[in-house]
Amino acid sequence: MVEFLQFLVPGILIGGVYALLASGLGLIFGVMRVVNFAQADFMMLAMYLSWALFAGGFGLDPFLAVPAVFVVFLLLGMAVHWMFIRFVIGRRENHDAQVILTIGLGLIFQNLILIRYSSEPRVVAPSYANAGDFIGDIFISRVRLYAFLLSVLVAALLFLFLNRSRTGRAIRAASENWEAATYMGIDIDRTNRIAFGVGVALTAVGGSALVTFQSITPFVGFRFVVVMFAAVVLGGLGSVSGAFVGGVLIGIIQSVSQVWTSAAVKNVWVFALFLLILYVRPNGLFGKVQRAI
Amino acid sequence: MLEISDLCAGYDGVPALRSIDFRVGPQEHVAILGPNGAGKTTLLKTISGTVEADSGSIGFDGEDLLPQAPHKRVEAGIVHVPQGRMIFASMTVADNLRLGSHRRVARDRHDERRELVLEIFPALAGMLGRDGGALSGGQQQMLAVARGVMACPRLLMLDEPSMGLAPRAADDIFEGIARLLKSETTAMIVVEQRAHEALEVCDRAYVLESGEVALEATNQELLADETLAATYLGSGAGSP
Repeated sequence: MVEFLQFLVPGILIGGVYALLASGLGLIFGVMRVVNFAQADFMMLAMYLSWALFAGGFGLDPFLAVPAVFVVFLLLGMAVHWMFIRFVIGRRENHDAQVILTIGLGLIFQNLILIRYSSEPRVVAPSYANAGDFIGDIFISRVRLYAFLLSVLVAALLFLFLNRSRTGRAIRAASENWEAATYMGIDIDRTNRIAFGVGVALTAVGGSALVTFQSITPFVGFRFVVVMFAAVVLGGLGSVSGAFVGGVLIGIIQSVSQVWTSAAVKNVWVFALFLLILYVRPNGLFGKVQRAI
Repeated sequence: MLEISDLCAGYDGVPALRSIDFRVGPQEHVAILGPNGAGKTTLLKTISGTVEADSGSIGFDGEDLLPQAPHKRVEAGIVHVPQGRMIFASMTVADNLRLGSHRRVARDRHDERRELVLEIFPALAGMLGRDGGALSGGQQQMLAVARGVMACPRLLMLDEPSMGLAPRAADDIFEGIARLLKSETTAMIVVEQRAHEALEVCDRAYVLESGEVALEATNQELLADETLAATYLGSGAGSP
């Protein structure tokens, strides 16, 4: 039982971060039906920014840098939407263009970072990087706990934004029915731009939460892209709350499976469950025929 | 107030509107009648901007509407209650109404407008906390109209508010619209299959056929002339 909990607790902690990473992808898909293949590379860029702020002379703690990372990536996301994304959304025949555009952006990000910082792994190690506490017999890593708490906090703020703010309500309306939202006087291009910015910023913050225990390379996105997509599909495409549940679930499965099988095959279990859930519920856990975020 | 001349529009090169001339005066209530596929819905969509015009002009208060983005047209006061209701099913009735008052001038008047729409459609009063998707068809249509009224429209456009409803539910909608028009001075366009109900709340009517204006008449003219009524208002129309 203790052994089980020793795997379950870290699974929940990392699952919270997966949830945050996936929520950004889910928000963007939910609002503008764009599958952003560059999402994990925005995460990678955010990890480099956190590293630069920490190691580049500022010595800024990666958790304290989160507001700055959020703002930078909110603006970057809005700029990318304004420069590229807005030209490939809305029309059915643009799906190919969306895929090529977002994969291309991801490749450009990876290679720009590769040119600038090489492929050498970077680490962000604050003084408490290896600290932790025992609760009963279960060891809880300090940085992973902080990462989890940060994710929960950001999730709560996202929930408030989507449900309580005018812009958030407009985003939900536009994601449910863009034509009806237009008739309300909602500027769809603006809500898309903001949703893209917020979606990118959420995943970026997830990246900052990871840097204290995940080394950074230009290709670190590959490690997380599959998890992000699986979480979004598992939760139900377009459902932000579903993406959260999907992320936590994947974290738990990856971790708990190590009680019985090697860590090397942890993603096998993830995909076994993934297929099982989609077999039973083709729209994902929270997917409805009527879409909602 | 609304001046449309020589308007043409269509979908992927297939014309749906051919040279439409159409006018709504201030505070005037105008019905658009005609068979399915005549272009009634397309005309409303071209006014609100979700369908692009190919040629012609739409003026609203003397301003050219066509270069303006759809949300700007709402800001100007043109409020479209679309066919098929299009309420936000995953959001509560209260949130649907709140989205109705997204328009800048309606924002500060949200509470006052909500009181008004709940007087017009009392059935909604007890359902503010329910999801839009949980309402019956008739209630959803009430919500769609109420959501439009929240925006303080200067020109309210209702696209088939009785579509798919049982006769009693349709009556509820038209009674609500009649109550609304007692307290509001908005101009209105109603697209309807139920010509008689529409004419009861309207001053004038256009009949569209194959994307063209086949007839323009006041409702007295339409109802008085048996041939016109029989032709355009369906069988049995005009008879007692």
